[in-house]
Amino acid sequence: MVQPEVGPAVGGASREPALVTKGLSKSYRTGHIIQGRRPALVDLDLEVRRGEILGYVGPNGSGKTTTLKLLTGLLRPDRGEAWVLGEPLASRAWRFRAGYLPEHPYLYDYLTPLEYLDYAGRLFGLARDKRRQRSRELLALVGLERSATLPMRRFSKGMLQRAGLAQALVNDPELLILDEPMSGLDPIGRRLVRDLILRQRQAGKTVLFSTHILSDAETLSDRVAVLRAGRLLKVGALGELLRLDVTHLEVLAAGVEPGAPGLEGLRAERVGDRLRLEVEEGSLGRVVTAIETAGGRVLGVQPVRRTLEDYFFEEMGGAPAGAAARGAGAWGEG
Amino acid sequence: MGGGLNRTRAVAANTFRESVRERVLYNLVFFAILMTLAGLLLGQLSVRQDEKILKDIGLGAMDLFGTVIAVFIGTGLVSKEIERRSLYPLLAKPLSRGEFFLGKFAGLGFTLLVNLAVMLLGLLLTLIATGRRPDAGLLTAVYPIFLGLLLTVAFAMLFSTLTTATLAVVLTVGVVLVGRFADVIRGMREVAPGVPQPIVNALFAIVPNFANFDFKSRVAYGEVVSAGVLGWVTLYAAAWTLIVLGLGLASFRARDFR
Repeated sequence: MVQPEVGPAVGGASREPALVTKGLSKSYRTGHIIQGRRPALVDLDLEVRRGEILGYVGPNGSGKTTTLKLLTGLLRPDRGEAWVLGEPLASRAWRFRAGYLPEHPYLYDYLTPLEYLDYAGRLFGLARDKRRQRSRELLALVGLERSATLPMRRFSKGMLQRAGLAQALVNDPELLILDEPMSGLDPIGRRLVRDLILRQRQAGKTVLFSTHILSDAETLSDRVAVLRAGRLLKVGALGELLRLDVTHLEVLAAGVEPGAPGLEGLRAERVGDRLRLEVEEGSLGRVVTAIETAGGRVLGVQPVRRTLEDYFFEEMGGAPAGAAARGAGAWGEG
Repeated sequence: MGGGLNRTRAVAANTFRESVRERVLYNLVFFAILMTLAGLLLGQLSVRQDEKILKDIGLGAMDLFGTVIAVFIGTGLVSKEIERRSLYPLLAKPLSRGEFFLGKFAGLGFTLLVNLAVMLLGLLLTLIATGRRPDAGLLTAVYPIFLGLLLTVAFAMLFSTLTTATLAVVLTVGVVLVGRFADVIRGMREVAPGVPQPIVNALFAIVPNFANFDFKSRVAYGEVVSAGVLGWVTLYAAAWTLIVLGLGLASFRARDFR
């Protein structure tokens, strides 16, 4: 078994990766009488660096949850190796320093979140006082302090997700593995989880989170890993993947018709009584003059960047209608 | 080692709390009603007779209620956690599958112990209330009942790691029923001489003899169960429970949680 290389510390931070997988593979049995195997994850080579947020994206069934379950020991790999926080995957030692939130966590109906966090704390060997203090802190952090003594059977899906997140943080982990952490949350809950993930990075922690909501990956991730049909397509910084240069400008104008002098050949879309035009960066001045000459007004100019969604659909072999026309930041929740 | 024990205790404590909150111990209310009714109704019989019947009913109810809990809660202990995925966050922590499995077993074992202890207390109080002397010898019947219940839980947990909760209930009830009539299997050749002896021996060997844990009538009639017999029953129960629990654990360890 080859240990991952450990690089020298730079600027006080260790370059040793938080997580490394080499050729990690998993297939599931199919059929009852005639049995076959369906590959769910194929030769995954992935590295998650210390202190980064890595978004693990892919459509449903692409192998995201399988990967996270392999890493947390819920599934046994067919082949391949992994090291977590410098320890082999099979070791128990790294589990003291990691936290995990499964997709759609189903917690214990009969427990209150306070009791559940106490239970989770006991599994880490935390002393009673420490457990009590940590539980209170975490419930405040996820906005459940008022529901601390309610049985979780009364919780909404969003509240359960928050309680699940709190249990993942009970040991103040160095590495957080989150499976669809924003799933089932209302906008306030999503904001809370996003802030919480960003706060983890500020504190020097590493976060690996899976999502099929690309805007979440785009907002939070330092790097993203794109998965399709159990295979890793690409890993990289968002800037590298998306080539974050402005691809074109979007000009919103009023009082002008498409095809007016100087606007011929431009891609235009009517939005009520306004016109949205796609303009090359170099020709912005000429287009603004043409709009004003034709008696119109320029209401706004917005740079348009290639989004993760655009990249994703290109890699998946199809573009969503109108994706290119959308401006950066005006992206739906997927 | 100490950490492992603490984690197992944490799982056991949580399992006990679950049982209490899921109102498993409500059966004690039925037991109390049963004892009260038995005490009232049997007042008309002779002293010697009603004491025996009261003990018989009390011990029988302990065995029955305990078995129902062991089967139905035992089969749900692991399968419910898998079905509801509540064990996922736990197994990602420094909690091994073995610690989880044994913790669940210990938790339900403790629930059954508390259940039996309260019922025994109820039986003793009923004896006192109806003018009889409390009989410490009852413990020599209750202890083997407890051992049998632990073995039942081990079977319930084994089957629940192999199949669905419903089928696990059916299989566990099957083993307990067949086990209670294990002596009939041994004497099968007397009623069905055509059955080959190796088959009879094999059947007898693969099912534990639950009749070995049944001292109810003997104790009710005032017979003394010797320490030697109880020691042998303890060894028998321990051997079977360890084997069945070991098989269950091996099956649980090999499982993928998809």
